[in-house]
Amino acid sequence: MSDHTSTGDGHAPGELDMGHHHVSSPAMFLSVLLALLFLTFITVVVAQFDFGSANMLIAMGIASIKASLVIAFFMHLKYDTAINKLVFMSSFLFLSLLFIFTLGDLFTRRLDHELHTTKSPVDLEWSHPSTLDGDH
Amino acid sequence: MTTNTPAVDVQTTQPKAPRENYLNCTTSFKSWALTLDHKRIGLMYLIGTSLAFLAGGVFALLVRLHLWEPEGMLFSNPTYNQIFTLHGAFMVFLFVIPAIPGSLGNIVMPLMVGAKDVALPKLNLLSFYLWVIGAVMAVAAIVMGGFDTGWTFYAPYSLYTDQAVVTIGLAIFVLGFSSIFTGLNFIVTVHKLRAPGMTWFRMPLFVWAIYATAILQVLATPVLGITVLLVAFERLYNVGIFDPRLGGDPVLFEHFFWFYSHPAVYIMVLPAFGIISELVTVHSRKPLFGYKLIAFSSIAIAIISFLVWGHHMFTSGQSTYAMFAFSFLTFFVAIPTAIKEFSWVATVWKGSVALNSPMLYTLAFLIIFAIGGLTGVILGALNVDLHLHDTYFVVAHFHYVMMGSIALAFFAGLHHWWPKMFGIMYNEFQAKIACALIFIGFNATFLPQFVMGSRGMPRRYATYVPEYADYHKASTIGAMILGTGVALMVFYLVASLFIRKKAKQNQWGGVTLDWMCPTPPPHLNFDEEPQVVHEVYDYTTLDYETLQRDCD
Amino acid sequence: MSHDDHHGVMIPAPGPEFVAHEVAHHFSTPVQEFQAGKLGFWLFLATEILLFGGLFAAYFYFHEVFPETFRVGGQQLDWRLGALNTSVLLLSSWTMAMGVRSAQTSQKSKTMIYLVLTVLGALGFMVIKFIEYSAKNEHGLIVFSELFSGYDEVTGQVAWFKDYHGVMKDVAHGHMFFAIYLTMTAIHGLHVIIGAIAIIYVLYGTSKGRYHAGYYLPVDLAGLYWHLVDLIWIFLFPLLYLVP
Ligand SMILES: [Cu+2]
Repeated sequence: MSDHTSTGDGHAPGELDMGHHHVSSPAMFLSVLLALLFLTFITVVVAQFDFGSANMLIAMGIASIKASLVIAFFMHLKYDTAINKLVFMSSFLFLSLLFIFTLGDLFTRRLDHELHTTKSPVDLEWSHPSTLDGDH
Repeated sequence: MTTNTPAVDVQTTQPKAPRENYLNCTTSFKSWALTLDHKRIGLMYLIGTSLAFLAGGVFALLVRLHLWEPEGMLFSNPTYNQIFTLHGAFMVFLFVIPAIPGSLGNIVMPLMVGAKDVALPKLNLLSFYLWVIGAVMAVAAIVMGGFDTGWTFYAPYSLYTDQAVVTIGLAIFVLGFSSIFTGLNFIVTVHKLRAPGMTWFRMPLFVWAIYATAILQVLATPVLGITVLLVAFERLYNVGIFDPRLGGDPVLFEHFFWFYSHPAVYIMVLPAFGIISELVTVHSRKPLFGYKLIAFSSIAIAIISFLVWGHHMFTSGQSTYAMFAFSFLTFFVAIPTAIKEFSWVATVWKGSVALNSPMLYTLAFLIIFAIGGLTGVILGALNVDLHLHDTYFVVAHFHYVMMGSIALAFFAGLHHWWPKMFGIMYNEFQAKIACALIFIGFNATFLPQFVMGSRGMPRRYATYVPEYADYHKASTIGAMILGTGVALMVFYLVASLFIRKKAKQNQWGGVTLDWMCPTPPPHLNFDEEPQVVHEVYDYTTLDYETLQRDCD
Repeated sequence: MSHDDHHGVMIPAPGPEFVAHEVAHHFSTPVQEFQAGKLGFWLFLATEILLFGGLFAAYFYFHEVFPETFRVGGQQLDWRLGALNTSVLLLSSWTMAMGVRSAQTSQKSKTMIYLVLTVLGALGFMVIKFIEYSAKNEHGLIVFSELFSGYDEVTGQVAWFKDYHGVMKDVAHGHMFFAIYLTMTAIHGLHVIIGAIAIIYVLYGTSKGRYHAGYYLPVDLAGLYWHLVDLIWIFLFPLLYLVP
């Protein structure tokens, strides 16, 4: 947490140097835009093929690359202060906790059925919402 | 500043003319309603949240009165459901969550870091008005027929009941954003507005606690927001994700709800910890035992609290594996919490303890929180919880934390900073009586609830079998004593505003920056920007002259 | 502080078409003000991520429970319109980034052009979204006129889900996909509108010459918000239109 503390950062009042300001070149913005459009094209193309359970992983992988480009360059986070990086990235970290535990519960409810082999079928139906679905 | 070196370079000698301070610098209604001064906003929060506390307290007394007889004394069963829901919703969302950060946090935290205001004063005012809008919507929901879901709004009942759930849901959404903006503001303030020399490890522990709380407010509250919004959407256009009739899963609601509401327990209790940390050192006049441990344990609690929410759902149909994980992780919260309790006790140990009213409230906290915390560990154990879930044991546990710990810490802080805020003192004798009444009344109310809960009395029931009658009667009598104590406290605090007995410049002998600025503080807090040169809680720097001198 | 007569530090205007900026009184330096604003806004963006995160968690939860419903439901959306909208948003994100850059370099008219283009992008996005919603309405997948008409206990169907062509009749809880689609895109659409309003606000300020190399914080923050809107759509597009 090496951010500036108050007036202790050596800038005289009224000084126009605004600290960590980074002005990106138009060429860089343009290449980021082209990369984003290209990746969108790739997502659509890839979606025409079936890779089984890897489908979701591929789609989310490409989306994450696109998101990283937007965050790093359009949002300038690459050139921003450490604390701002920490703040924004921690939102994804804590979001992943919501995903891990909530989905982890859902996935392991399947294993529950094997764990409780003595349970009656009625109990099994009660415990899993997916049994409402006729597909599997 | 003649006999001792003060902790900061602040002018403490002023001409004797009535000093301009934040209370009297402007007087128009508009200057209050549209104020950007953190101290005025804090005072408005104090008034608002106190009214919510009194309303919630009245609902609590009604609940206890009703339960005097096994078949219920006052209400029909549906009305009883509404009353206990109102008690819970008002206390949690309108009092416990916003009270300490909104009032004492707002007033004291910027002073403690040596700032002129919070970083984003307009946002601070917006937070307050969002709280007001949320409160008005909550009252509107009562007028529209009330709500009977319990403060937890569990699906699917909250989707089916024919009451004003949408209105109160949106009220909580608004209150959530009030809380988020407060937290956001405080994080920026701590990062960007600390006075020169105020390093992270010179920050008073109240600031650390408010900072840790703010992290939780910012990261957890949005999920509550989307959850109550989804409940409202379910009722409006049947989304179906929480509604089992439509293929939804109520357990998902509980996951979302407790992802917020477990960390919310720490949104409520961490500021209380902060107050206690300040008070044990000032009133023992002794540096805190384990300053860094307490500071880091606040952050540790904030992070671990995101990993344990499933312990509220042991009987809800989670997978067994999830329950193992959540129960196991729950025990880790106990470690940083126990570190704090030990550090406080070690601070009081062999200190020169002044048994004035803030310290009495603090000591009451230390006893009550030990019970509240340890029963939490009991409930975190998976197998025990299956027996105790949804009984009065749980009710007693969380009241030991919510009321016994958090509200008492709030009272302690209020008594501690009252002379700072207003420059006047309350009647100390009456304060001690009130503290004793509250302590006795509280324990009389909730100790019997541990016993009847462990014997199977379920929570939220409007009637009960006669075997539990004695416990309920004891509990109701305790609640009356507790209510009397609170009423006395409100009386002498309000009375002090009229009697106007002058407080001292530094009433208790604190050495943090909040006691270094004039009492009551001027509009911009410090006459000169403070330069911090001493470590925190260094009582060798105490200027005894300020303890004797009347405030301006 | 030497200049403490309730007035903050002044940042001079870089040219005659600009106005000077006064730093708020409780800040000591322009850097402090700038960084406080940025940190506050990043924290706010973090809350937005977690708010949407709840919806994404619900999506993944029910994608796991009803995979067929989501597969067939996804086929009912027109991925061409989705891809077009993605491109529109990406382009507008680019114009926004260029707009912020122009403000940073005190190029007033360029800033205004880029901001206007960004607002047009927002408008284009909403028009395409409207076309998509109308198509759903026509096929009875989301009947907007009956959105709030509730649930029929007898048929076990929600009123707004009619499915005229029976495309979802073979899968369980066919309305679930469209409920999630509607909720996520509507909340996202609301953010598009709020973002557009924010951009129009800074557009007005730019026309008054308030933003320049010395002070461009509001343009920067409106830009961050707009990129967040883009960011969320980057994930929504494959999840809803190309359901893997
Ligand atoms: Cu908990």
